[in-house]
Amino acid sequence: MKAANPEKGLANEKQKSIRMTNISAAKAVADTVRTSLGPRGMDKMIKDSKGEVMITNDGATIMKQMEVLHPTAKMLVELSKAQDIEAGDGTTSVVVIAGALLNSCTALLEKGIHPSQISDSFKIAGDHASKILEEMSVKLDLSDTTSLEKIASTSLASKVVSQHSQELAPIAVRAVMSIVSEGDENVDLKNIKVSKKLGGTVDDTELIDGLVFASNHASHAAGGPTRVENPKIALIQFCLSSPKTDMENNIIVQDYTGMDRILREERKYIVNLCKKIVDTGCNVLLIQKSVLRDAMNDLSLHYLAKHRVMVVRDIEREDVDFISRTLGITPIAHVDQFTSNKLGSAKLVEEETVGEGKIVRIKGCSNNSPQGKTASILVRGSNQLVLDEADRSLHDALCVIRSLVKKRALVPGGGAPEMEMSQKLLELSRTLTGAESICVRSFSEALEIVPYTLAENAGLNPINIVTELRNRHTNGDKHAGINVRRGGVSNMMEENVVQPLLVSLSALNLATECVRMILKIDDVVMVR
Amino acid sequence: MSVSILGSRESGQNIRDTNVRAVQAVANIVKSSLGPNGLDKMLVDEIGDVVISNDGATILRSLEVQHPAAKVLVELSRLQDQEVGDGTTSVVIVAAELLKRANDLVKYKIHPTTIIAGFRLAMKESIQYIKDYLSVKTESLGKDAILNVAKTSLNSKLIGAESDHFASMIVNCVEAVGVMGASKEMKYPIKSIKVLKCIGQSAKESVHLNGFALMTGRTAQGMPTSIKNARIACLDFNLNKFKLQMGAQVLVNDAKNLEKIRLRELEITKERIEKVLKAGANVIFATKAIDDFALKYFVEAGAIAVRRVDKKDIRKIAKQCGAEVLITLMNNEGEEVFNESSLGSAEEVSEERLGDNDFIFIKGMKHSSSQTLILRGANEFMLDEIERSVHDAICVVKRVLESKSVVVGGGAVETALSIYLDSFARTLGSKEQLAISEFAESLLVIPKTLAINAAQDACDLLAKLKMYHSASQNSSDEKKQEYKYVGLDLANGKVRNNLKAGVLEPTISKIKSLKFATEAAISILRIDDLIELAPKPEKERDGH
Repeated sequence: MKAANPEKGLANEKQKSIRMTNISAAKAVADTVRTSLGPRGMDKMIKDSKGEVMITNDGATIMKQMEVLHPTAKMLVELSKAQDIEAGDGTTSVVVIAGALLNSCTALLEKGIHPSQISDSFKIAGDHASKILEEMSVKLDLSDTTSLEKIASTSLASKVVSQHSQELAPIAVRAVMSIVSEGDENVDLKNIKVSKKLGGTVDDTELIDGLVFASNHASHAAGGPTRVENPKIALIQFCLSSPKTDMENNIIVQDYTGMDRILREERKYIVNLCKKIVDTGCNVLLIQKSVLRDAMNDLSLHYLAKHRVMVVRDIEREDVDFISRTLGITPIAHVDQFTSNKLGSAKLVEEETVGEGKIVRIKGCSNNSPQGKTASILVRGSNQLVLDEADRSLHDALCVIRSLVKKRALVPGGGAPEMEMSQKLLELSRTLTGAESICVRSFSEALEIVPYTLAENAGLNPINIVTELRNRHTNGDKHAGINVRRGGVSNMMEENVVQPLLVSLSALNLATECVRMILKIDDVVMVR
Repeated sequence: MSVSILGSRESGQNIRDTNVRAVQAVANIVKSSLGPNGLDKMLVDEIGDVVISNDGATILRSLEVQHPAAKVLVELSRLQDQEVGDGTTSVVIVAAELLKRANDLVKYKIHPTTIIAGFRLAMKESIQYIKDYLSVKTESLGKDAILNVAKTSLNSKLIGAESDHFASMIVNCVEAVGVMGASKEMKYPIKSIKVLKCIGQSAKESVHLNGFALMTGRTAQGMPTSIKNARIACLDFNLNKFKLQMGAQVLVNDAKNLEKIRLRELEITKERIEKVLKAGANVIFATKAIDDFALKYFVEAGAIAVRRVDKKDIRKIAKQCGAEVLITLMNNEGEEVFNESSLGSAEEVSEERLGDNDFIFIKGMKHSSSQTLILRGANEFMLDEIERSVHDAICVVKRVLESKSVVVGGGAVETALSIYLDSFARTLGSKEQLAISEFAESLLVIPKTLAINAAQDACDLLAKLKMYHSASQNSSDEKKQEYKYVGLDLANGKVRNNLKAGVLEPTISKIKSLKFATEAAISILRIDDLIELAPKPEKERDGH
């Protein structure tokens, strides 16, 4: 009996230290991304293991690239990924909130409160906070494009490409709105194709009326047309080259006349294929990439060019579905099925030179196939770093609009909702007793990290700002937040700094859940 | 506790210092090559190839810098090269100077975001000021203006001594390729200017040619060297002995058959050639090979045949002489024919010898708009550098012709902006004031470097420049207004009115380089964390 007691003490000691290590590992991750929160957040430069450099400010991207080692730190990375999937934006805030909550846990644990009690109290606080959020939210009508654009620009304001938010925000809004129909509860962002093309500046990014191929261009080999008005478009999945059997094959020639025959037959075969295509009135041919065989050979290109058929080759297999939906056509797998009713129509197909490369653009397609509408965006940027970052930022903006479709309500930005939650939770804690009260109180204090960090990143005095905010919120000014532009506190709704309810809500819930999970871990076992 | 990652991490002031140091190092390399008296760099790569250049973009591209922040700067000069074509050195120097000064401000406890805001504001103000007060319309300057722009660009290069000769050649060339664009504006597609290099003689012997030239000879000696009223065929297929494609095998039982097959192989190509010749072609350009045995048919017909012509070139030729590039001879029924309509025409196609090389000249084509510059030079390095300099000058001339607006060179614009921004900063009460005045100070790095490179007294010259510009901005006297064109005269170590001296640069080049430099400085300044992941260890071979 005597020996058992110290051992038990040892086990407790171990659990405690593991909890502390976990918490501090997770906090370290949160501290890493903290400086990139908000419109004046800084960027991170990441050099990956292949030596490629990336400059970004998107929390999810930073975390994904960082390759953290500690298992709990990995949970935070997952957390940010989850937020990315759920809401698409707020990937930095969710990690920062989680970090702050964990920080408050340390103090609570030291007071001797049991982890599961902390966890339960956090659940109560979290649930209550979501209610507060929903109460303070403002309903939004999807037809209100100007507010939507404002929300998109709030999301873009914190990115590297912030000075282009004027151009990108309306694009994001129009893209999502064009594929949403009345009563939709969700948007499939796969229906928005974002293509990147190097060259030009981010200002040149555009929403395409129709389709754009950024990496394919019209075939020039035979001098075919590069611009077709009122095109009849077909998408084929078979090859226009000499046939091949599945197995290793040999043609054996024994006579010189055989050589002529081969030549003639090959030409005839190709001509027959092409003739069938041309006869249907098709004048723009999109050909899926083929690995085993050449998709086209010189003969077919020549024949098609002669009949003024524009050829766009090497269409990726995964794009086929999107293209056929946009154009309202079905891909054609064999020449026998190539009939004129399978052709799609548009106003114009044109090849354009942009920067150093070329793109093909299909304008004015019908775009009303039964499987749903599509939209295409062409992103431009002067170098790969900017281009990639513009792409990521645009994705965030699209997600923000999507979360508004999912939940049509707004909350103010600039740290206002966090402050409001913090104040209301503080009131709640006063009505409770026991450890619960202390935990809820800590939770409410932890939420102040968001306005604190925002102020800090903007080069303002965080203590002055946070205390002023606290004051305004206690006096009932629900929408008071940090005005980064002017460096003070003002009404966020009037300043048009707004964000979707879903982003804040899911950030809060995900962060609380993650923290509760980390708290409950009392042992880490490494298994080889 | 810090995050444990596979690699290293640097953050906060540390990373800013490292970045600034790296950027500074890059800028210092190109610093001495700025301006008319700038010196050249000799770059030797790992294979031992030598490049001699004073073009910022070229130098930086060959450097293969490792540091990520320095890479941003390399990217910057490449961007300037792409968008403007000139000013690649100055953009790097300005960006580095901006960063250095911004970093100093950060050390004085000014938050980077405040500095960024200040820089953005300063950039906007400067661009507006250039547009409103400093730019000059080319119409008001006469024809010489464009010539002077080309000269200014060339002066800083290896061929500065022959700038008169090259400038007039380049201006003629660019003006000749001008076409009316869709929006009723003249466009100058510089792709229509072909620049050929030919070793031998001095740079001064470089010539400008109206027409198209190829740097290859005719294929056989028996062919004529010149054909008047040429009928041109452009073929994009092989004229080699015919070979069956992969998968077809020849199996013969009889030796006689073997001979027949061999003959037939020749025959198939011969028939194709005959079809082309029968249609009346007497000049044949082919992108691929022409077999030796096939040459005799061309020689017999008295035609010029040129093989292995670049695909881009053959398309240009075809477009201009009205020919069609054929990749096969197949017609709609699957038969092989060659139509006369596929032929193009030119007044003369001839082969001439310049230096060690033969050139094919195509003159008097139907829709001819292309121009050719043949550069001469003592050695390859020199030729390469001349080509780059000419490219820069062509770009500059094109910009001026399209935008019709120039600014004065020789540090005039930078000094004017610096004085203006300095007084502008004083109208602001916020912390941005400091950032803007540092921005103003940074711009002076250009006249300073120019003077240092020319071995002149930089302090003295700078003081004089500032005095003139400040006088021009602070007085309404008309005579003193002229002082805004005062820039450096580097040869004599004085200041002078550079508008009259004809030191001109395109406005767009100045504006873009300011924009790009500021953007680059900001993007590096925004970084407060560098995470470098360790390279993944290569997989061990499993012994198979």
